[in-house]
Amino acid sequence: MHAPETSFPPSPAKPSDVVVSLVDLRLSYPSPEGEIAVLRGVDLAVRAGEIVAVTGPSGSGKSSLIAVVGGLETPTGGSVRVLGTALESADERTRTALRRRDIGIVFQAYHLVPAMTALENVALPLVLAGEEGGEAAAQAMLREVGLGHRMSHRPSSLSGGEQQRVAVARAFVAGPRLVLADEPTGNLDRRTGEHVAQVMFSLTRASGAALVLVTHDEALARACDRIVAIDEGRIVEERVVRDPVAAGARG
Amino acid sequence: MSGASSGISPLRRLVRAELAAGIAGLRLFIACVAIAAFMLGAVWMLGAGLSRALSENGTIMLGGDVAVEVVNAPLDADLVVRLADLGTLSEVSELRSTAIAGDARTPVEAKVVDDAYPLVGEIALAQSADGVPTLAEALSEREGLPGTVVEPALLSRLGLSVGDTMTLGGGTFEIRAVLLREPDRLSAGFLVGPRVIVSEAAGRAAGLLSSQGLVDYRYRLRADDGDAQALAAAVAALEPERGWELETPADAGDRVRETVARVTTFLGIAAMVALAIGLTGAWAASRVWIGRRVRTIALYRLSGAEPGLVVALHGVLVAIAAGIGIALGLAGAGVLAFVLMDLLAARLHLPWQPAALASAGALAALTLAIGIAGACASALSGAARTPPGAAMRSADTIPTPRPRDAALGAAAIAAAILLAILGLPDEILAATAAFGLVLAAALLAGAGWLVARAAARVKPRGFVARVALQGLDDPAKAAMRAVAIGIGIAGITAVVGAQRSLDTALRAELPDRIPDLVLLDVQQAGIGPLTARVEADPLLGGLQASPFMRATITAVNGVPAAEALVREDKDWVISGDRSFAWAAEPTGAELLGGAWWPVDYAGPPLVSAEEDVQEAFDLVPGDTLTFSVLGRSFTAEVANIRMEYHRTFRPEFLLVASPVPFRDAPHSWIVTLEGETDAAVDALVADLARDAPGVTAIDVRRIVDDLTRVVEGAGLASLAIAGLLLVVGALALTAIVAADVDSRERQALAFTLVGASRREIAAARLAEAGTIGALAALVGGGAGLAGSFWLASAGLRVDFAPGIVALVLPLALGLAAALAAGIVGGLGAAPRGRGQLVRRLAG
Repeated sequence: MHAPETSFPPSPAKPSDVVVSLVDLRLSYPSPEGEIAVLRGVDLAVRAGEIVAVTGPSGSGKSSLIAVVGGLETPTGGSVRVLGTALESADERTRTALRRRDIGIVFQAYHLVPAMTALENVALPLVLAGEEGGEAAAQAMLREVGLGHRMSHRPSSLSGGEQQRVAVARAFVAGPRLVLADEPTGNLDRRTGEHVAQVMFSLTRASGAALVLVTHDEALARACDRIVAIDEGRIVEERVVRDPVAAGARG
Repeated sequence: MSGASSGISPLRRLVRAELAAGIAGLRLFIACVAIAAFMLGAVWMLGAGLSRALSENGTIMLGGDVAVEVVNAPLDADLVVRLADLGTLSEVSELRSTAIAGDARTPVEAKVVDDAYPLVGEIALAQSADGVPTLAEALSEREGLPGTVVEPALLSRLGLSVGDTMTLGGGTFEIRAVLLREPDRLSAGFLVGPRVIVSEAAGRAAGLLSSQGLVDYRYRLRADDGDAQALAAAVAALEPERGWELETPADAGDRVRETVARVTTFLGIAAMVALAIGLTGAWAASRVWIGRRVRTIALYRLSGAEPGLVVALHGVLVAIAAGIGIALGLAGAGVLAFVLMDLLAARLHLPWQPAALASAGALAALTLAIGIAGACASALSGAARTPPGAAMRSADTIPTPRPRDAALGAAAIAAAILLAILGLPDEILAATAAFGLVLAAALLAGAGWLVARAAARVKPRGFVARVALQGLDDPAKAAMRAVAIGIGIAGITAVVGAQRSLDTALRAELPDRIPDLVLLDVQQAGIGPLTARVEADPLLGGLQASPFMRATITAVNGVPAAEALVREDKDWVISGDRSFAWAAEPTGAELLGGAWWPVDYAGPPLVSAEEDVQEAFDLVPGDTLTFSVLGRSFTAEVANIRMEYHRTFRPEFLLVASPVPFRDAPHSWIVTLEGETDAAVDALVADLARDAPGVTAIDVRRIVDDLTRVVEGAGLASLAIAGLLLVVGALALTAIVAADVDSRERQALAFTLVGASRREIAAARLAEAGTIGALAALVGGGAGLAGSFWLASAGLRVDFAPGIVALVLPLALGLAAALAAGIVGGLGAAPRGRGQLVRRLAG
């Protein structure tokens, strides 16, 4: 048995807006043997303030789903609306602007810039947005994830958990309305993984953003508001763990 | 693992497995090594082959152990007898004449030889229907006709073949064989026509050795007791008052030797630059390769491989790749050097030994092997320090090498450069060039370091500027990249600048194609008819006639000429016979001092000295010069100093004297004229063949065309060298850029995730690469231009004229480097295409 579900804070939001809307989403990749279908008609809606776990075996299409929702891949069929923007027809510029303004992304492999310090990595989205006082906000965010003492360290001198907390801080620093996390605890031991997840959940709840979390970790999935199971590119099961609106009302 | 046997076996197994998988990852490394090996090998082999051929064949080139030369009049008979007492003597006379067959005529370089010729070396004659005759057989008289051997060019110009007859001087000769090689060819000066050899008896009978012609008389001696030095001293003691030019084998072919030394130095410095760039490329390529294998190495380490085994495995693989590169490069170099040596040795009439190429090739291989070992030391040391844990992380940067290994690597590179220095004929020039390269590298490193320091201080707000500066703010990395790109720019600029200067100098030395025709040996009686003939043809004109004699300067103000010399580089003015004329009126040359004598001046001889003579002795009008003409000695006051331009085929005389008493001495005239059309000139040449067979007509048009071809060939060759350097530079640059690709891709992925556009990523990388490129272009280009100035003035001894190419080239190379790095690290590094990003994210 993993960590108890109640260890994660409930959502304070009163979500009504649909942040992500997928209708018959299809994606295939070219290969020497022909097109490989990765997503075969996914329908899904994620509301603001909602934390949705996406689970499924390796190769089921979870990471590709994150890539499409994050505007990193263009679907080959169906529609993807993220915060009102139809990504299937959006150009690179629009998708980049959306990612910069409204989406934070965390990956299993951290994907930090090795040459930059933790503070510089976290400040990057604010620099891109051209925001004033980016450094102060990045410092505050690093303190929030418990890395106030590691700001000037480069990724190579941080532990895996610390690197992932930097990645989380970077994903949340610009106040995104949607955070996508692909196996954020996959490289971490259970305790560190729980800590990182807790940080993510609390930041999500505090900001009212929606969080789509790909995970193999059953306990982590059960801590989310809803669990969506994917297999062979299709949603095979959808289960509501709690209603964030009701939870918020109770809270 | 313990014991040697258990250590060797896994290494063998791993090497076999790695080789079975292929070493394609080392392709770039092999290319860098191969092209550096090609340049270094070709230059060294060619240089060694030529130098050895020249140094081993001094006696052959000279035609004996000692040679003396006089012009116009032969040595007195009793002096010749005394010379013959000192050793085996051979007399050879050379003169310009005209070979005539029917209506066709062509100027030739006639050589009249005695029975002892050649004293050393061998004449090579071509196979004919009757086999290969000896020289004596070929020159002998048969059925009343003397024989001659001629160069192939004569046959084609006159439309003759072996067995035909031709007229030379006043005699008819039967062509008996084709002359392929003449051992003493390099002792002759500039040849205006094909060589024709006749026997002394036949040459004398044909009037070739008349007292009025310009004849070089050469007396070669071979020491019967083998003591060449004693022979030279004994000969020197016999020098007559009229003077002579005495040469030993060390002096033979000195102009060719100087040219070879110059060319070898230029090529050697180009090769040294290629070595430096090639090693830079090998260094970068080895780091790329090891960098991409960090995970594999970590997995080996995880499986229990000790650092020593990892180094041994990668060392063996790098050594195999280096061996392939060196073998490919040297094989190409060997073929090129062999072909060129064969061609050049034939042109220089010298025998040569292919073994000379082998030793130079072996030295090049050794130099490269040492240099490459040094260049790969840091990557291999990094491989040894790769921790097993790297397999668990997405690490693909090589750990920094141990200081001791880095120092060993640097020492090996220094040893390779030292070998490269010792491989060149002029070690001081080579050492200066190497020092220049090191200095340029230091300047580049310093500039890179300063830029990094400055970049670290600035914190701009914008993404592009911030990312660009962040890419620059590591001083060690910035210094290394500046050196890696800039050293190539410096070397290439230096070589191209020097090449342009050499090309400009060679072209400046090309004579103007005026006049079109030079007529030698025109007798006094022939001047009138010739003038009338030219005046009658409106397409001919510009006729100038000058008496043509030779003089040897023996003393200045009563001091022997050799002692009076103040400029060593002008010693040629006292070396043998020099051009001499008499004139009543000014020749038209500019006077730098003094005045011309009155037209009717008939007093004691006055002389007009050319500027070179003035510089040789620091002469002023009023000084006296003693010189010998036609075996008689004269002392004359210097009336004025003249300046000649040395760029035309018009007769230019070192000394011009007042008419008395030279006007009445036996001499011929030299006549120059111009033609508006080739046909008019050709018609005059045909008339002269009929009316004045003794006159030698030198067709300047053909000579200038030939020289132009030679200069253009030299220009093309040096351009090819510079082009090859560019190829090495491009390969090294590719390696340097490739070294960064993986980390650039990772960064681009991170930037993409946080919302940076491809354009922003590309702009940031371009700005970063552009800064390094500009730095490398400015510092490297500046150092390169300074290097080309030094190379042109000190190495090649030509005026510095780098041309616009050498100025623009560094900027173009810097821009190319920046664009390549910017595009690869920016646009190319950002994920593109369906599925690419997800694959990278997963990785």
